[in-house]
Amino acid sequence: MLARFRAAVAAAAFACFAFAAPEVDAEVVQVDPDGLAAVLAAEEGNIVVLNLWATWCAPCLVEIPDLITMEDNLADKNVKLIGLSVDEPRGSTAFIASMRDKRFPGFLTYARARGDQDELVSVVDPAWNEVVPTTYVIGRDGAVKTRIQGKKSLEEFTAAVLAVAD
Amino acid sequence: MAHLRSLVFAALTAAVSVWSAATSAGTISPEDHIAVAPDVAVNAAGDIAVLWVDRSPELSGEHENHDRHLAYTDLYVAISRDGGATFAAPVKINHDSGVVWGQSVSRPRIVGDAAGTWHVTYAANEIHEDFGKPALTMHYTRSTDGAQSFEAPRRLSTLTDADMSEIIHGGFMSAAAFQTIAAAPNGDVRVFWLDTRHMSPDLETGAMYTAVSKDGGATFSENVELMESKACPCCQFMAAADAGSNVFVGYRHVHDGNIRQSTIRRIDAETGEIGPIVDAGSAPWEIAGCPLKPTVLATRENAVYTAVYSGGEEVPGVYFSYSTDGGQSFARSTATHAEALVSDAPSIAVNADQVVVAWHAKTDKSRQVFIRTYGLDGQAAGGVMAISDGASSATGPVVATREDGSFQIVWEQDDRVYTKVLTGTSGEIQIGSR
Repeated sequence: MLARFRAAVAAAAFACFAFAAPEVDAEVVQVDPDGLAAVLAAEEGNIVVLNLWATWCAPCLVEIPDLITMEDNLADKNVKLIGLSVDEPRGSTAFIASMRDKRFPGFLTYARARGDQDELVSVVDPAWNEVVPTTYVIGRDGAVKTRIQGKKSLEEFTAAVLAVAD
Repeated sequence: MAHLRSLVFAALTAAVSVWSAATSAGTISPEDHIAVAPDVAVNAAGDIAVLWVDRSPELSGEHENHDRHLAYTDLYVAISRDGGATFAAPVKINHDSGVVWGQSVSRPRIVGDAAGTWHVTYAANEIHEDFGKPALTMHYTRSTDGAQSFEAPRRLSTLTDADMSEIIHGGFMSAAAFQTIAAAPNGDVRVFWLDTRHMSPDLETGAMYTAVSKDGGATFSENVELMESKACPCCQFMAAADAGSNVFVGYRHVHDGNIRQSTIRRIDAETGEIGPIVDAGSAPWEIAGCPLKPTVLATRENAVYTAVYSGGEEVPGVYFSYSTDGGQSFARSTATHAEALVSDAPSIAVNADQVVVAWHAKTDKSRQVFIRTYGLDGQAAGGVMAISDGASSATGPVVATREDGSFQIVWEQDDRVYTKVLTGTSGEIQIGSR
């Protein structure tokens, strides 16, 4: 996993965001594994909170506002919240964007492209068990520090990030 | 409108005869189609049915929409009448094209019965006429001519007028999905599904609803609530009948604290009443999320065997357990594949000699299909065996017991459905090509 991630960091230095033909619909970009790796590589130096969610996942929808608040509260620590929708990719980006705009305006989220979702998430977690929500706290060095599963509170997310930031 | 639908159906049915020529060894679904979420069943005549959800390219243009709202998928079955050596051309089951809502975690199901009838249940997308909004409803159909044709599907669930699209996942007005079906030896056919009609902003669990046929699927009872809203709303139900026509149902019961516990309950053959909540043997898993994990089971004589994904164990993954007292209690579960990075999506079947558990797991780069056998006493009888070829990701296996006591396994790989035969006894399994 790390080797792939580091390779992507190197690749991104030459072609940041030049990942495989993303489909753009209403500002939600679909990413494949290389695309996700490039997105994360571009954030090296920041603490990234990567949140796997889906439009059909009620607990996901409950916790996203807390994640947004957490990001705002910890702005001075260079924390970046990135969503990744694992919704069925075919024709879904407009619906994802609509829900995002209605319920979580400003939430930066990507969506999975066609293909195996396990392969996509394996960029950060080869042992993902396909549960949503799953949230990863990725350190400034690009390594995954914490995996959090299930809906959590603002306090729990804040504590998890501060444990990495300090 | 009905005439138009008949023409479309006839045209698509004719088209499938071409597909069979395109299949290759080990695969059943046609090339150039995306086939997902397979199921497999065997009837009393020994015929083997492989069912799958087909994302047909012919439909993609007119149904380019999200499959949570308006599906673009169909349901197909292929039958083998020679013990799995060959499969006939696939037959399309749903009459209205593109209405099937199904994927690996909420897959349509098929069972065969003693009379040779094939029974199928699936969730379908409908647009509520009064509201113009999508709803998921539960459908049933059967074939009494060896799967050459299927009756017009019947809706088993009630399409209510309550608009709960603001609180139901995915924006449906209401949802009846995550279904299962059992055909009992006495001719009863029982369909169970997860129903959201009682959901509210403060109640995000689902109820278990059922409809029962006492005449081999010719007619069904009104759908009734079998269990109050305590079921994890994204974990598919699984059911199996025992020799006495009692039916066992596996699901995840949501206890206080968001403990989503794999649970098995017995439906009495005579009264139709549901028995007490019985823990299926795995450690409590606290998860305020969407596990998407079924509780699978198989029965033989007075034993019930089960396999589940458990996130509550020290090593999360697929766990096996068993009951030797008719499902009143289950042994502490054991890991099937503790060495895997992750294991998930179990299926289970039993014959006169052994139990086979199948699942997908990742030991290296991609998920592959594995099996392990257990004796009827619940003790492991063999090690972990790889079934798929490792060439690409292989997922979502389902295994069924054949009439000769061997097992038929199906799974999804490269957008196609694969199958193999598992033979042998007492933990000595050989893997055949079909």
